[in-house]
Amino acid sequence: MFDLSIFDGVIELLPEIGKATGETLLMMAICLTAAVLIGGSLGIAVFLTSRGQALARYRRFNLLANAVINVVRSFPFIILLVAVSPFSRHIVGTSIGPLAASVPLSLAAIFYFARLIEQTLRDVPRGVIEAAEAMGASPLQIVFHVLLVEARSGLILAFTVLTVSFLSYSAVAGVVGGGGIGDLAIRYGYYRFETDIMVATIVLLVVMVQSIQFLGQWLARRLDKR
Amino acid sequence: MTAVPHSPPAAIQLRGVGKRFTGSDGEAVGVAPTDLDVAAGEIHGIIGFSGAGKSTLLRLVNLLERPDSGEVIVHGENLTRMSPPQLRAARQRIGMIFQHFNLLHNRTVADNVAFPLRIAGASPERIRERVQACLSFVGLSDKAEAWPSQLSGGQKQRVAIARALAPEPHLLLADEPTSALDPRTTLSLLEVLDDVNRRLGVTILLVSHEMAVIRRLCHRVSVMEAGEVIERVELANGQVPPDSRLAQWLTEFGGASPTPAQAAGALEKESASV
Repeated sequence: MFDLSIFDGVIELLPEIGKATGETLLMMAICLTAAVLIGGSLGIAVFLTSRGQALARYRRFNLLANAVINVVRSFPFIILLVAVSPFSRHIVGTSIGPLAASVPLSLAAIFYFARLIEQTLRDVPRGVIEAAEAMGASPLQIVFHVLLVEARSGLILAFTVLTVSFLSYSAVAGVVGGGGIGDLAIRYGYYRFETDIMVATIVLLVVMVQSIQFLGQWLARRLDKR
Repeated sequence: MTAVPHSPPAAIQLRGVGKRFTGSDGEAVGVAPTDLDVAAGEIHGIIGFSGAGKSTLLRLVNLLERPDSGEVIVHGENLTRMSPPQLRAARQRIGMIFQHFNLLHNRTVADNVAFPLRIAGASPERIRERVQACLSFVGLSDKAEAWPSQLSGGQKQRVAIARALAPEPHLLLADEPTSALDPRTTLSLLEVLDDVNRRLGVTILLVSHEMAVIRRLCHRVSVMEAGEVIERVELANGQVPPDSRLAQWLTEFGGASPTPAQAAGALEKESASV
């Protein structure tokens, strides 16, 4: 038989790992929800106001939104994490823990997803949007009846990329006491040289990433009728 | 040029409508201020070489292109003076089909045909009834649940026609509808368009660079060159007046086959183009 004693440390820490997983899921749920609702709307708005689209007359909004998206996305995440911590404390009452970490995570996810959405929508052929305009569709109808339907598999893939990216960003949030799986890896694996814990957390993250990616691609393929 | 008597009401009246763009090489292209009258019930063709401004002129009719000048009047309604919601309502009464069909790929054939009705807020019963009627009109009742990617080019264009007809428009704009299709498919599609005009009384404004298409289908033709309508010709039974520029182009580029039957034959064989 194999010597399972090398996993003793892991088994001992199972409750910690469970708690950390819960914290990671909480951070993900918050930042992904914010990204889809706010970032998604922003991405659609930026797309609609870009050159040649239905609301191209709001060019100032387009320029401003593009600038803000670029600025926020320029921040190295760890700097953003520290920079918004007074703001996090203001919103959730503390600057440590998963809820506090969710603030910079959401901020980064919103603008990241806005850009992803805007670029995904560009894949919808101009002619199809134009046909809808010729039939008398309003900009809102074009969004819900044309853009989101025609781009749906691309949107699923964009969400998949977002989820995977922010799973690893949430691990970075561990540095400022954000909690979660990454925090565990840093505290036990990195600072205390407990390699088994390090390996266990990485295996856990790999399994999560693989599952998310598999699910995303499966769904995207199923929805694509082009 | 032939003078045309105007007894039926005008379906389309363009008054000094023009649109200028600067092309990629800095050259001015587009449409010079133009008048155009299309009588209700007529099939009117716009023919010309690539870059002559034919598609732009067509797209000015439903204001997909905003004119720099002039007025667009469709069935007595001045589209150029409408607010956006009014224009959207007016567009629901004008069908349009395109060279590349522009179907929604992630919706079934039936949902594509239902699309303009859903936008207009039609009832489910009316949608069901119109989808059936229009698919049967274009001969694709059995494809209702198919996806567009499963259809041939000719079938896709038939779906596009069914979709354009769904809200019972009085006018159909056709932008190079057969240019992506082979000659045999083109011929059967022209029959569908002829039916749309004859049986449903829909006025058609059609852009094509294919002489045989124009000759087979159109009652009158506007000939365009470099952004201007240089000639308006009446085709009696597909006969092109011998003294016209169009007749000259025909001998030069399209062979001389002046009867519709021969034109159809020519279409099958060589798809004559200017």
